[in-house]
Amino acid sequence: MTATTAPASTETTRQLARQQSWWERSNKATMVMAGVTAAVCVFFALASDTFLTFANVSNLATQVAPVLIVAVAMTFVITAGQIDLSVGSIIAFVSAVSAQLLAAGWDSSIVLIAGLVMGAGWGMVNGWFTAYAGIPAFIVTLATLSVIRGIALLTTQGFSVPIDFDTFFAQLGSARWLGLSSSAWIALVVVVLGLVVLHRTPFGQYVIGTGAAEESVRRAGVNVRRVKLMALTLSGLAAGIAGILVAARLGSGSANSAQGFELTVIAAVVLGGTSLFGGRGTVVGTLIGAILITVIANGLTLVGVSPFLTPIITGTVLLAVIWVNLRGKDIGQALRSLVAGR
Amino acid sequence: MAGETEDLLVELKGITKSYGPVQSLRGVDLTLRRGEVLGLVGDNGAGKSTLMKVLAGAVQHGGGEIRVHGRPVRFANPADAQAEKIGIVYQDLALCDTIDVAGNLFLGREPRKGPFIDRRTMHEQAAQILSDLHVKVSSTHQEIGTLSGGQRQTVAIARAVSFKPDVLILDEPTAALAVAEVESVLRLITDVAARGVGVILITHRLQDLFRVCDRITVMYEGQSVDDVPIDQLDIEKLVALITRSEPQKAQKEVSP
Ligand SMILES: Nc1ncnc2c1ncn2[C@@H]1O[C@H](COP(=O)(O)OP(=O)(O)OP(=O)(O)O)[C@@H](O)[C@H]1O
Ligand SMILES: [Mg+2]
Repeated sequence: MTATTAPASTETTRQLARQQSWWERSNKATMVMAGVTAAVCVFFALASDTFLTFANVSNLATQVAPVLIVAVAMTFVITAGQIDLSVGSIIAFVSAVSAQLLAAGWDSSIVLIAGLVMGAGWGMVNGWFTAYAGIPAFIVTLATLSVIRGIALLTTQGFSVPIDFDTFFAQLGSARWLGLSSSAWIALVVVVLGLVVLHRTPFGQYVIGTGAAEESVRRAGVNVRRVKLMALTLSGLAAGIAGILVAARLGSGSANSAQGFELTVIAAVVLGGTSLFGGRGTVVGTLIGAILITVIANGLTLVGVSPFLTPIITGTVLLAVIWVNLRGKDIGQALRSLVAGR
Repeated sequence: MAGETEDLLVELKGITKSYGPVQSLRGVDLTLRRGEVLGLVGDNGAGKSTLMKVLAGAVQHGGGEIRVHGRPVRFANPADAQAEKIGIVYQDLALCDTIDVAGNLFLGREPRKGPFIDRRTMHEQAAQILSDLHVKVSSTHQEIGTLSGGQRQTVAIARAVSFKPDVLILDEPTAALAVAEVESVLRLITDVAARGVGVILITHRLQDLFRVCDRITVMYEGQSVDDVPIDQLDIEKLVALITRSEPQKAQKEVSP
């Protein structure tokens, strides 16, 4: 390198900025996952007559929605090198408190807004302790996991609170458009938003950078604390949305709902190819991961095996796919050097 | 270099910095003029990098005063120092391994189209910067983590230079570079200095200092102990200044 400011030939410049091939850009872990998901779908389509019916696919979309909505936000959190264990508790809190507010006579529209504010608010609590008090997100959200569900249990005394079917809130749960539930449409919107924000905006770039090398991003003049605060606020907000949808669909709010939900969500994110160590995230992968986990549960029910087999098989698939992905990196590298070998 | 005050880019007076019980800086004075190349030398752990982090806003100093263009400033974060047109290549480079070359060059100042990163423009401008500086990377889309140590270093230098800073800090910029690349960096330093940029160069390659520097500031155990024009020095004298081995220099040392 020299400081000569004579313009370099435009040809070299164009060569340098040339877009890489689709194969070079694609996340190999995500491609493996897409393959596995397709194979699992084919298997269930052959094993069960009802799996590929529109009714079941629509049902699948509704089932996957809450997991997917939270998983997209969790993709940001994990990519930023953080974790949010409290999302299940936030769902329980929002669903229980929303049902109580409706029972107290609040208008549905206000309860909807309150649900979003409560979710985002808990997310900000997590974010503040993590980003500004310097406590690792794992510890912070482990604590709030317990506190948030505890408050919900305390206010409801553990009882499920029914939601009047006449309310707009409850009707949101059964609303359909083009054969798909409101949950499914909202999840779709969240996925598209997540894709655009993570891969196209400066905020997304800083989320990735923070997970890869927080200090480098800070020294580049970025407010990394705000980035972490915003990522955790997003996962809280997403859990709030999911809490509203779960309560609306079930027609009741319960402080006992969504137990272990955080683990399903984290599994979906990691299955999709997002690095648990941060710095690498894919929303498309998360979409595929969430679909795979839901399809396994749904398909096994249709095939008629014991429902207790579902967690065993889901866990085994998780382990197997991660294992293949770790080997797959070597395989991918070998393939690439063969292809690119000139 | 005329000693007129309007030429003064940076003045540091009595800078101190403690990390808990460790006192890394115990009163450092340093001046830098427009168009000047200042060599900053000292033993390992003398506090050179810490001082430069203070000047780049990456860490906040305890006591002392920073003046830039004659105005007293206090940097709360790196963005404040960038706003004063201070550019730096950190000793550890401060790159993000999972972000591509263009993304690293423009980290924190991405070209935008509405709320979105204008990736096309970003990659075009990145390619322009890299080819202007003859940086040897194959694509602006390559992830930084996949580059060689020397390539990473040249990308970090290109980033600092592309800010068009008034003050350019280079903390061991040639540590990982091959012979030809070192020559390029030295040429780059004289070129930007000729354009009026003040350069602070930290390096353990003493022969390089004699090729580009106008003046040398020596640090020892967290203090600035000497400030000598380069034409009054030769290699032996410089080594003696760094190691504090010459008897007449020893008296300048602070008693512990
Ligand atoms: N984050 C930190 N926490 C505690 N001590 C630190 C920290 N950073 C630097 N120090 C201490 O400050 C002193 C000066 O370190 P510094 O990196 O500035 O030295 P240096 O002159 O750049 O050395 P080198 O030539 O090896 O790069 C060292 O004793 C180091 O241990
Ligand atoms: Mg150093």
